[in-house]
Amino acid sequence: MDHLPRRGQFFFSLILIFLASFFAKQATAQDKLSFDKVYTVYLRNSGTITQQGQIKGYFFLYQSDKVDKHTNEYTLQILDENLNKVSSIKFEDSKTLSLLESAYDGSSISFLFKNVESNTLDMKIYTLDGKLKFTYSRPFDKQTEDLMKQYAAMHTDQGTNKNVFDIRGSGYVSVLPLRDGSQRSYEVDFYSSQSKKQWTYTPMDEEKYALAEYLGSTDSLVIIEVMKKNRALSGQVTSHLVGLNFITRKKVFEIEEGREQYKIVPANVSSLPNGNILVMGSYYDKNESIVKDYGLGIAMYELSGSGKVINKSYNSWEGDFSRFLHTGSNGKIDDIGYLYVHRMIRTPDNNLFVVCEGYKKQASAGGIALSVLVGAPSGATKVVVTDLVIMQFDPQYKITGATIYPKTHNTAVGGAASDYNSQHALAAVIKALGGFDYEFTTGEPDNSNFTICYKNSEKTSDYKGKTFNSIRYTGTKFTTDKIELKTNASDSRVFPAKPGSVMILEFFKKEKKVDLRLEKLG
Amino acid sequence: MICTPRLLLIRIAAVLSVCIPVCLFAQQPVFSPEPQDSLKLARLLALYEQQYKSDIELLPSQYRKDIEEAYKLRWNNIREKFDDKEIYTDSAAQNYLNRLIAEIRRVNPDLPLGFTCYFSRTPVPNAEYIGEGIILFNMGLFTRLNNEGEVIFILCHEISHYVLRHSEHRIEQYVATLNSKETQEALRSIKKSEYQKGQQLESLTKGLTFNSRRHSRDHESQADSMAVELMRHTSYRVSNAMSALALLDTIDNDPLNMSVHLPDVFNSPEFPFKKRWISYDQGLLGGHAVLKKEATADSLKTHPDCQKRIALLTTLTKSWSQPAARNFLADSIQFLSLQNRFRYETIEYCYQSKNFTRSLFLTLELLAIHSDDPWLVTETGLVFNGMYNAQKKHALSKVADLPGPYFTENYNLVLQFIQNLYLDEMISINYYFMKKHDPQLNFYKPFHTTFETTQQLFKN
Repeated sequence: MDHLPRRGQFFFSLILIFLASFFAKQATAQDKLSFDKVYTVYLRNSGTITQQGQIKGYFFLYQSDKVDKHTNEYTLQILDENLNKVSSIKFEDSKTLSLLESAYDGSSISFLFKNVESNTLDMKIYTLDGKLKFTYSRPFDKQTEDLMKQYAAMHTDQGTNKNVFDIRGSGYVSVLPLRDGSQRSYEVDFYSSQSKKQWTYTPMDEEKYALAEYLGSTDSLVIIEVMKKNRALSGQVTSHLVGLNFITRKKVFEIEEGREQYKIVPANVSSLPNGNILVMGSYYDKNESIVKDYGLGIAMYELSGSGKVINKSYNSWEGDFSRFLHTGSNGKIDDIGYLYVHRMIRTPDNNLFVVCEGYKKQASAGGIALSVLVGAPSGATKVVVTDLVIMQFDPQYKITGATIYPKTHNTAVGGAASDYNSQHALAAVIKALGGFDYEFTTGEPDNSNFTICYKNSEKTSDYKGKTFNSIRYTGTKFTTDKIELKTNASDSRVFPAKPGSVMILEFFKKEKKVDLRLEKLG
Repeated sequence: MICTPRLLLIRIAAVLSVCIPVCLFAQQPVFSPEPQDSLKLARLLALYEQQYKSDIELLPSQYRKDIEEAYKLRWNNIREKFDDKEIYTDSAAQNYLNRLIAEIRRVNPDLPLGFTCYFSRTPVPNAEYIGEGIILFNMGLFTRLNNEGEVIFILCHEISHYVLRHSEHRIEQYVATLNSKETQEALRSIKKSEYQKGQQLESLTKGLTFNSRRHSRDHESQADSMAVELMRHTSYRVSNAMSALALLDTIDNDPLNMSVHLPDVFNSPEFPFKKRWISYDQGLLGGHAVLKKEATADSLKTHPDCQKRIALLTTLTKSWSQPAARNFLADSIQFLSLQNRFRYETIEYCYQSKNFTRSLFLTLELLAIHSDDPWLVTETGLVFNGMYNAQKKHALSKVADLPGPYFTENYNLVLQFIQNLYLDEMISINYYFMKKHDPQLNFYKPFHTTFETTQQLFKN
């Protein structure tokens, strides 16, 4: 979930005065009381409501009353994509309640709550007029600690949900990481919004280490990527693409990385108009490690609904990419470093755009000096995130172009962590720390028009400060735009919004005022 | 003055040909906004400020500070109307309004002298007594009325609010309620409570709000009753009170279908209108949802239902006889002339107030009748240029409303249209719209200048 934002929550945590019609804000005599002096409401959580990765609205959960020692009254306010208040839901629950994520499937809204008192994760599904339709609960225990850590982490770089996703009008799915001692696993929960039905997919794998990530869904399938430590391969990590049919409740396929000519680590899936599934990811030689090695290039697989490979294409760093970028055989690009794939976007005319960001190690003057002084390893290098690269592929998934969008090379990771040898591990660390400058992509549902957004900081004679940048694909060409974030507000941040727009949050410290506004990108 | 239908038609024709000043295009007059008299506004504001200060001096000692605070809020609202140049200063329009007031005074000689009525330039169909003896008659309401008789009823209604001191009573009642022993005790008890503070406060405020709104509805009924009494001896038909209320009941209905009109206006062979521009998500979160009315909504209304008001006045006036009463008396030609002018003035006011989407909406409404009107075409170009520049600076939200469930369907569609446009589409639509009118309207300098700007933005 994209909690509006961690830092933003600080702003919202300012006491909000409950205004009761025109009776508010009066009375100054010493012993006289006014309405605002006896009662306050607090904002507990806020976030976006998403549908198929698109921002559809926003939620604000207020603690509106204390009912008794254990119970609070909450008001869940729902704002539409234009920030209009469209629904207000009041309910009573434990005082330890927090709202984790929300999703929308067109006919219902789901909210995933964490209830510490009952130790449950409660999925509540509401009708559009605010009536509670179904509640699904599952115990919340030590096994889900990793999940809670995820929620406590600061950043989601696509501004969309982490664990709860709508499955096209049928309900919702959540992919939960589980941990039992050193054993790591996952479960996939399905929650119907049509009738009270819930089922859980629990993997029957032998492996004691499996991490799952939601990649996408089709009309009947939920597709996840699972990374497993394979015992048979002396603990080597292998990648698996798993398709679960949420109608038949069966696993339809599990494609292991090494089934084809190369190993592939899927990074993104999208459904094609013919019902097939397009999978994209890095590919490796069979003897390469998907953890340590950088890979040979980018592969595209077209799968049928049953998981059969219909079509495949490989673009190598050394051959294909080097025609457009100065790439070495190890995938490293001059001045840019290695590429991290953020997003794969397929347009209605079957072109494919892949959004990447560069990262590389650099000698850190401060780190070297410190190592010399204290004589201990303190990170002689630092990792910087470099330029944004957008690559274009034709309908046969062969690269046809690449454009570099230069930006300031900002330090993403410093200290000992930057001395990792594995490029993948580095990328994972940068992502986990929110070090990439890429923010999110918004656009039309069919991707005929989309906008890639990223943050930057500038130091020029005209402007010094943070900027919010966008690269928009118009259907025929790319255009760029920039918002200078240095305003008369004490702080300002930009969040994803409906296609073509962003939400700008400005905090005015002196006036104790938060201003939220939607602005269209240029 | 008796006005037969034929004579009225002749007069309308006469009005349309002479009432709007200067600049001729194919024998049609082109609108030119009346310049606002800043000196007059400043003079009036100073006068009212003096009056406000005198009123403050005379406030009772009990709860004085609270009452003063409420008066200050009311005064700030008045000041804004002057600062924003909302008060229309055109002397011809003011004289017309004064003539109507004079007719009311003629038959009601006991009416106090301390009130004045002004036209407000807003398109909101409303009239309001705003305090300090100021009654505002919004152009947006004037343009919807059928005759002077309806204007007279609305003026009498607002004069009644002034005479019956409803605004002042409301302030006093509010301050007294807040300071009452019962309210203070209730608030103390809530403050001491550890639990259910919100629920207790909600039930307290609900009771007080219901009470306040009921008083407000009573005030409206009182003002209606007094209005027909004031109107009774004028030469205007009292039945106009009922027709005015019936009109208010349906005032939010837009007859124009924007889903047809927008493509009509903005389609061009070089840049065909796209369906996507007016498409929207029909669900709860798309900005066009029809929200369910809350159970308590009727109790929270500030005004009684128009149908109830009509029924009340019909009973009250049933036995009244006005054989010589008319719909028009002062000047039917000027009535129509002002209605015509005000339709344009509200567009200009919205544009000047930087409410570009409202300005565009009103312009589009008029373009449905006068598709080649040079001023309207130019205004459309200006608004689009303005929105383009605002969007480029990421400040469109400061000049454009966002779609919301509280707007009318047609206005919402115009707002959605603007939201759906990318920057290049916005300027292309404007460019091809202006280009369609290019050879014909080139004689009109503002069009020429605006189109030049559009061309520059389009090329960039």
